[in-house]
Amino acid sequence: MTNITTEKLKTRFPDAVLGVESFKGETTVTLKADSLLETARFLRDDPDLQYNLLLDVYGMDRHRLGLSPRFAAQYELFSIPKNRRIRLNVPIAGPQAGNGALPKIDSVTGVWPTANWLERETYDLMGIEFAGHPWLHRIMMPRNWVGHPLRKDYPLGGEPVNFSFDKDNPRFAHLGKQIMAGPSFHSELAEEMDEEGHLIINMGPQHPATHGVLRLAVELDGERVVKIQPELGYLHSGFEKIGENRRYEQFIPYCDRLDYLAPMSNNLGYVMTVERLLDVDVPQQAQYARILLVELQRIASHLVWLGTHAMDVSGTIHALLMYAFNWREKILDIFEMVCGARMTTSYFCVGGLRWPLPGAFQDAVRHFLTGFYPDGINEFEGMITNNPIWKSRLQEVGYLSAEQAIALGVTGPMLRGSGLAFDLRKAQPYSGYDRFDFDVPTSDRGDSYGRYLVRMEEMRQSVRIVEQVLNKLKPGGPHKTSDRKVVLPPREEISTSMEALIHHFKLVTEGFKPPKGQVYGLIENPKGILGFGVVSDGSAVPHRLRMRWPSFVNLQATDTMARGGLLSDIVTIIGSIDIVLGEVDR
Amino acid sequence: MELEPTAAMPKITPAPHEKDGAPGFVMTNLSELVGWGRKYSLHPLLFGLACCAIEQITAGMSRFDIARFGAEVFRASPRQADLIIISGRVSNKMAPVIKRLHEQMLEPKWVIAMGDCASCGGPFNNYAIIQGVDKIIPVDVYVPGCPPRPEALFYALTRLQDKVQKFGLGVRQG
Ligand code: SF4
Repeated sequence: MTNITTEKLKTRFPDAVLGVESFKGETTVTLKADSLLETARFLRDDPDLQYNLLLDVYGMDRHRLGLSPRFAAQYELFSIPKNRRIRLNVPIAGPQAGNGALPKIDSVTGVWPTANWLERETYDLMGIEFAGHPWLHRIMMPRNWVGHPLRKDYPLGGEPVNFSFDKDNPRFAHLGKQIMAGPSFHSELAEEMDEEGHLIINMGPQHPATHGVLRLAVELDGERVVKIQPELGYLHSGFEKIGENRRYEQFIPYCDRLDYLAPMSNNLGYVMTVERLLDVDVPQQAQYARILLVELQRIASHLVWLGTHAMDVSGTIHALLMYAFNWREKILDIFEMVCGARMTTSYFCVGGLRWPLPGAFQDAVRHFLTGFYPDGINEFEGMITNNPIWKSRLQEVGYLSAEQAIALGVTGPMLRGSGLAFDLRKAQPYSGYDRFDFDVPTSDRGDSYGRYLVRMEEMRQSVRIVEQVLNKLKPGGPHKTSDRKVVLPPREEISTSMEALIHHFKLVTEGFKPPKGQVYGLIENPKGILGFGVVSDGSAVPHRLRMRWPSFVNLQATDTMARGGLLSDIVTIIGSIDIVLGEVDR
Repeated sequence: MELEPTAAMPKITPAPHEKDGAPGFVMTNLSELVGWGRKYSLHPLLFGLACCAIEQITAGMSRFDIARFGAEVFRASPRQADLIIISGRVSNKMAPVIKRLHEQMLEPKWVIAMGDCASCGGPFNNYAIIQGVDKIIPVDVYVPGCPPRPEALFYALTRLQDKVQKFGLGVRQG
């Protein structure tokens, strides 16, 4: 099959293309570093290609893969008009080891503005410098941190775990004493801000309306916002580094703890990516169950957004927060019934579902639906859709045009709220979404109110999907693949079959080993497009685990949306982006 | 204007006292009385870190209702709070901030480490996360779980209330 993108690239830039690789339906084009900007512009502007959405930028330390040069930058591109994807792989020559000098490559912020934070992150964690970047500073780690944690020669860190503890042992004398991790860091922001005529205020990291430990430095001219500089990393937990030190299946529980409002979706995104790498087939019924749970999760996530947003915008709508959490509790009860956990579910495993669905599952879901739809949603809408306070705080606040949104890499309900009907469940259906009818709601308003309308309608559409899945779901039947190289054999088999026992032993002690290669899986999370990039070197541990988290990228639009607005609008804007700090900072 | 009692409005007479004499005093000591007052009016800081914070919010919602334990008034300023619930993982970057928040709270003040991360680092034994918030501030009650259910938080709260009751007057924590 010829690929128009690679053909065009080869004819236009014969010297720049170093190689083309295809693996599991994904194409990687290796480019020369010095022609990156040229090719990037071409890819974006050529009418046949139109790669207008830059999904991700990340660095690779290929030291252990035996490749030279050691570092490479990778770019995941998506063309919304043509519904196509491509990956650019750009090896960077130059300084290869520590001592200050960093490998250097051109910044693509001029082509895709969304690269700004993604490149800062790569600089911070991988130590790749981007020439021409507007403000290249650390974004996750404290400014005075030494080293780049995602490099392969940087240790995972941590402390030895003491499984027995003797408090009289002098070795532990320091525990419980007040030791600080490092020097205290005062405001390092506002370097570019005008402190002369303007007022600079600090919001967060402990602030009731920033939805976690987000910190914003806001430059104000009177009551008007001149500039916002978010400071991230207060919840940075090193997920990518952990992923590169755990076996594939061991990372599933960690996914729950990233976007902790949507653990089911995160699990699905991750296991689907690994399944593609392994070529595992998932039984139909398990796919359906996955869709159902993920759609319930979407509703639950939107409910938290709705409740907290209403609470931030107008404290008087406190009741709405209570109502929203009550409905969410009912969904959490279903999750608990399915897997025993309310929030950190880890219910999907590579190859299917960890356990079969319980017998009363379908009734429980039906019971929830009868109450929630349409009465539950209508009640929310009745409370606020035409509420004058709600309208005056949301309408015309935080405007984002579709062009701005795409340039900033914004996805999910925010992009649809700017009028673009782009939903991965329709554009590139996964897990069997193409068998179900649903609409992609959009709003042309582009403001916070438009995003509100979109999310409310999305909940309705999720209910529609859940109802259809319920009709197709049949109890019984396999809930995971029978591929014994990937999933554990059932208990009965172990006591009768030697082969099953060997598989069990192998899986538990070593884990499965996918073939060498690289995949990048995408999924439409409640907050936007979630991506998992997995590079396998043939062992049971991923060589590189990259994650694209939607709130991180969407949050970048705050500055654009808030400029010129009032200080109090920032609260509305942050709420309408629907961020979760666990995935912003990871 | 006074209303004439009619047949439709029965006259209410107070119930007779079992014993004579107004119930006017109760025997206790000041420190117990203050402890009793303190333990049922804890003001937690409105502050959440990670996944556990969501369960902390849920604890405040109507299904679980932290108000039953007198601790529903979450204050947004550390100067008005006497309890900080560390609900999530503490990163190297966040540690100085948490320490400062704790210092800003007036005495007496208490700390609950909610969840495995805050108690001991949990699943994150790596370069970014501090292995337990007790490395930077003193912790009164640890809650295991990842995340602990709201009921677990309530159990911790009642344990803390026992501690607060016994705390005494004029004791310095610092
Ligand atoms: S203990 Fe578990 S649920 Fe709580 S913050 Fe840590 S990872 Fe999240």
